[in-house]
Amino acid sequence: MMGGGGMAGSVKKKEYRKILKTVRESKAIWLVGTGPRDTGQSDFKNRFTIHDLERLLPVYDASGYLAIDSHGGARLHQDMMNNMIDPFEEARLFALRMPHVLTQTLVRGTNLWGYRMYSRNTVRAAVESFLPTIDVWRCFDFLNYVPNMAPVAEEVLRAGKIFSPAISFTESAECTDAYYLRVLKEIVSLCGGTKDIILVIKDMAGVGSPARIRRLVDAFLQKHPHLLILYHRHTTDGLALPAMAAAAEAGARLFDVTDDAFSRFYGHPPVRPLVRYLRELGHEVRFDMKRADEASETIRGFIRNYERFESQFKGFSSDVTGHRMPGGAFPSSFEQAEKGGFLDLMPHILKGMSYGNRIIKYFDVTPGSQITWTTWAGVLQRFHKEGGEPNIKRLFGVLDRFFEAGERFDELSQADQNMLLRLYAGATDDLKNLLLGKYGPLPFGWPADWVYRSVFGEGWAEKIKAERIPSLPLSRLADEDLEKAKAAMEAEVGRSVTQEEFVLYLMHPKAAVDFLRFRERYGDTTVLPTKVWFDGLRRPGDQVRLTIDGKPHVVCLVSVGEGMGGVKDVVLSVDNIMHVFHVDLPETAAARKKVRKAAPGNKGEVGATVNGTVWRIGTKGRVLKEGDLVRKGEEIMNIEVMKTENAVKSSVAGVIREICVTVNDRVEEGQLLAVVEPGIE
Amino acid sequence: MGCFRKIFIANRGEIACRAIRPARELKIPVVVGYSDCDALSLHVRLADEAVRLGPSPASMSYLDIDAILRAAKDSGCDAIFPGYGFLAENPDFAEAVKKEKMTFIGPSARVMRIMGDKIAARKALSASGVPVTPALEDVDDPKEVIRFGNRVGWPILIKASAGGGGKGMQKVSSPAEVEECLASARSVAEKAFGKGTIFAEKYIEHGRHIEFQFLADRFRNVIHLGERECSIQRRHQKLVEEAPSSLLTPEVREKMGAVVVKAMRDIGYVTAGTMEFLVDRDGKFYALEVNTRIQVEHTVTEFISGFDIIRKMYKLAAGERLTMRQKDVLLRGHSIQCRVNAEDPKNNFTPSFGKITFLRQVSGPFVRSELGIYQGWEVPPYYDSLLAKICSVGKDRETAIQRMRRALGEFDLWGVRTTIPLLKRIMDHPDFVAGRIHTGFIEENIAKLTDYAESEEEIYKVARFVAEISALGRNRYSE
Repeated sequence: MMGGGGMAGSVKKKEYRKILKTVRESKAIWLVGTGPRDTGQSDFKNRFTIHDLERLLPVYDASGYLAIDSHGGARLHQDMMNNMIDPFEEARLFALRMPHVLTQTLVRGTNLWGYRMYSRNTVRAAVESFLPTIDVWRCFDFLNYVPNMAPVAEEVLRAGKIFSPAISFTESAECTDAYYLRVLKEIVSLCGGTKDIILVIKDMAGVGSPARIRRLVDAFLQKHPHLLILYHRHTTDGLALPAMAAAAEAGARLFDVTDDAFSRFYGHPPVRPLVRYLRELGHEVRFDMKRADEASETIRGFIRNYERFESQFKGFSSDVTGHRMPGGAFPSSFEQAEKGGFLDLMPHILKGMSYGNRIIKYFDVTPGSQITWTTWAGVLQRFHKEGGEPNIKRLFGVLDRFFEAGERFDELSQADQNMLLRLYAGATDDLKNLLLGKYGPLPFGWPADWVYRSVFGEGWAEKIKAERIPSLPLSRLADEDLEKAKAAMEAEVGRSVTQEEFVLYLMHPKAAVDFLRFRERYGDTTVLPTKVWFDGLRRPGDQVRLTIDGKPHVVCLVSVGEGMGGVKDVVLSVDNIMHVFHVDLPETAAARKKVRKAAPGNKGEVGATVNGTVWRIGTKGRVLKEGDLVRKGEEIMNIEVMKTENAVKSSVAGVIREICVTVNDRVEEGQLLAVVEPGIE
Repeated sequence: MGCFRKIFIANRGEIACRAIRPARELKIPVVVGYSDCDALSLHVRLADEAVRLGPSPASMSYLDIDAILRAAKDSGCDAIFPGYGFLAENPDFAEAVKKEKMTFIGPSARVMRIMGDKIAARKALSASGVPVTPALEDVDDPKEVIRFGNRVGWPILIKASAGGGGKGMQKVSSPAEVEECLASARSVAEKAFGKGTIFAEKYIEHGRHIEFQFLADRFRNVIHLGERECSIQRRHQKLVEEAPSSLLTPEVREKMGAVVVKAMRDIGYVTAGTMEFLVDRDGKFYALEVNTRIQVEHTVTEFISGFDIIRKMYKLAAGERLTMRQKDVLLRGHSIQCRVNAEDPKNNFTPSFGKITFLRQVSGPFVRSELGIYQGWEVPPYYDSLLAKICSVGKDRETAIQRMRRALGEFDLWGVRTTIPLLKRIMDHPDFVAGRIHTGFIEENIAKLTDYAESEEEIYKVARFVAEISALGRNRYSE
């Protein structure tokens, strides 16, 4: 009965309530593998390719995992933006290749997989489109504001899938058992009991001490003895294994783990040590260790491809208990600091955060962690620019005095007060929205007045009165006009779009459009082996074998040109036939873009209908110039191509504001020829 | 019998390649002329000799009479084959060839002059008993055109009196459009043919374009090889042609053929030509014009008649007598030709040019392809957009369509946009399959016919990505 085969044979997918019953009655410990999604996100910037992950799926399917965390979080965005993977295709592939394991997504309350709050109809459309391929819907809210989980919960429970509400966890004075029990009570009431859910304690920064976790699990089970609890824990501070053991002792039944070969510092604990430890403690664990060996061997074969994406900051760090930055955000903040040239400020920024989370209290997980990061990266850069290290030291001195004074702002000196009032002077809109309750009420109340003064300036009191939403921000959100949004997308893409494409656009408009354009130009690049995906072919004679639609192909590098005139000619043999590809070097590509294009949606902008030569502006009888009136449908220019004349007509009546070309100019299709200001009939 | 010593082909592209082949069969050496951008074109590769005519623009090469005559003479040719387009229907050229003691492979300059002028041609044809459309034979006044339109009924068609191929031809639907269309037709006529005279005629709505191929010798023997149907057109340029027409009964065919043969005998036509008709819904036919040259679509007639029309033209021009009588002409089966043009059907058939990065030719039973291109060749922007013709033949129309679909499916060409996807759509269109076609077919069905996804082969897209990453040495998407 130990390990092997997952739910195979015993319970079929789709009978989700039965699956949870089996887990509940098994008395065993079950594991959820985070390899494809959260591990990738925490330690490898979400860059795992389908090519590599695909090899793990059959192993995972036979490992005895309850579920594989394979979707959502930041991966959906990065799939489109960096990996050029269609998240739907990925989800289908995972579902297909892991028939015995549940697939799991992570959603951020009403933000789903995006960064803004979505209206109910948008949530419904997005959830519906992924329901066929996703079994477990793990959902959290960075304010632990349960009403924000309601729309997703309703959709998922109605569809009969597994809803897995996650309570954002951290250690602080306010985060008492009583507080978490209050949140749990709301969750149980939202989900109509504990039968259809797996409750997650989401320790995303990895800060819970073993004793604290044991107490919390115990408190939850005292209240709801049949509750299935999963402890989600990043390894950041190095205490994950004992904390998990403590949770298991207290009755937690599920754990997030990763493959040993995937283990780094910000992801999840390695599966084999945990299983061995739990078994030594006398727990039954549903897991096949042999499969875990196999998975780690496979991973070691490809993991070096991703070395370049690992964090600059290596090793465990107990500082996390102060700054509380979650696993995924930690390495990416170092990356941003390096790109922005302020890596040396990182220790200060992390220290700043540990003050910040005592001033404005919420949980550091998306989007909260982004707000914390941008706020404090901004604060420290600003203070550094204004007065260097001494200025930063002064700021921290003031903050120390503030907390020593029991957070009583009025008891500080005038100078200290002034400094604190400058703290949030550069507040982002996200921080402002947070303080105005746009995400929901803060879990431990609104911050002190001086914070509002610092963020909003002199009009702060009126701002609170007029704009701060006390509760239920979602109820103020009107349904989105999806027809209109779809039309906007189609105008941008220039064709009709599928529902799936539209859902991607609803989450990340720019990334979705860019992704579709990429696909149009480069096809499905997930067929490429990882090395070729990252580095291309290096030396003449290097070749890559691909399979597309079941047919084999070979692409071989013949030569790469010198890069004359900003263009490199690359000669490839594609299926034994030579092709020359002209690759614009980045400078050239930027210069090319400068050809002004007529905006398709703007009827006043007249674009070239073909590639050719403008041989006449106006008509034979009427030469046109700027300021002239034109009728709707009047010929404005004529382009000659291969001896044919191609009239370019105005689609509006109006005044010619601008003529952008001269006679004999060669123009390319879509190039802006003239601007007509509409209005005059 | 003695044919020619050496033939000069004053053309380029697929027709030049096509014309080289029968000469080769007859062991007649062939010389071709070429412009600068055509130095590496296929006709130059195939010919025995090649002579540079001049710079790329046609006016300085393929339309330069002096350059062509010099090239032909200097290379020792005694005959010039003009193909279609360029100088093919220019009587001055035919006359100049004769003056240089060479044979112009085509009818006499006199016949060309009559047939090249719509007004004179209509007179000559009418005199021989050929029905013609109501027309206005000389236009200088828009008001006159409006009166004509009101008399014969709108829409009407206006076009250049000179030239063919539909250039500058415009359908005018109402009096309000007359002025603008007239001006534009004039401009095109001047630009393309150096002659600005305009001709207006009644537009036969839902008319079918049917043309008769004929052969004639110097001894007043004329036979016809039946008709071709050319109703599938875009912008008045043919795209799909077939033989025979599903419209004609044997009786009508015989009647029309007799009209053609009589008129051409009367006028003294020699070699090969085509008389075009418009047939209206009631089966009434009107002669449109006589094309005094080889037609692009001659292939379909060849497929069902067994004649090599260009080979026959060489022989007839050399003075050979037609031995075959009309009753001996046997037409068998059905043939279809599709024109692969370098143009984008999705974008109003605008020309597309560039390098042909990949070419998979058509082969297999009962298909024929006539190409002027090869892989790696660059389609120049200076000339007609016809790249290739694909023809199929079968015992009946249905079989010919099935074979054409198969051929179009195999044919593949990358680097420029072509009419291939549109042609595939036409072959699948229920109206085309049922023979319910007319000259407005493409225009009426354009949305459905062009609702295809631009399909570049997936491997080629992925290879483009590999090329970019290999050139830059990094993946700029995943940094």
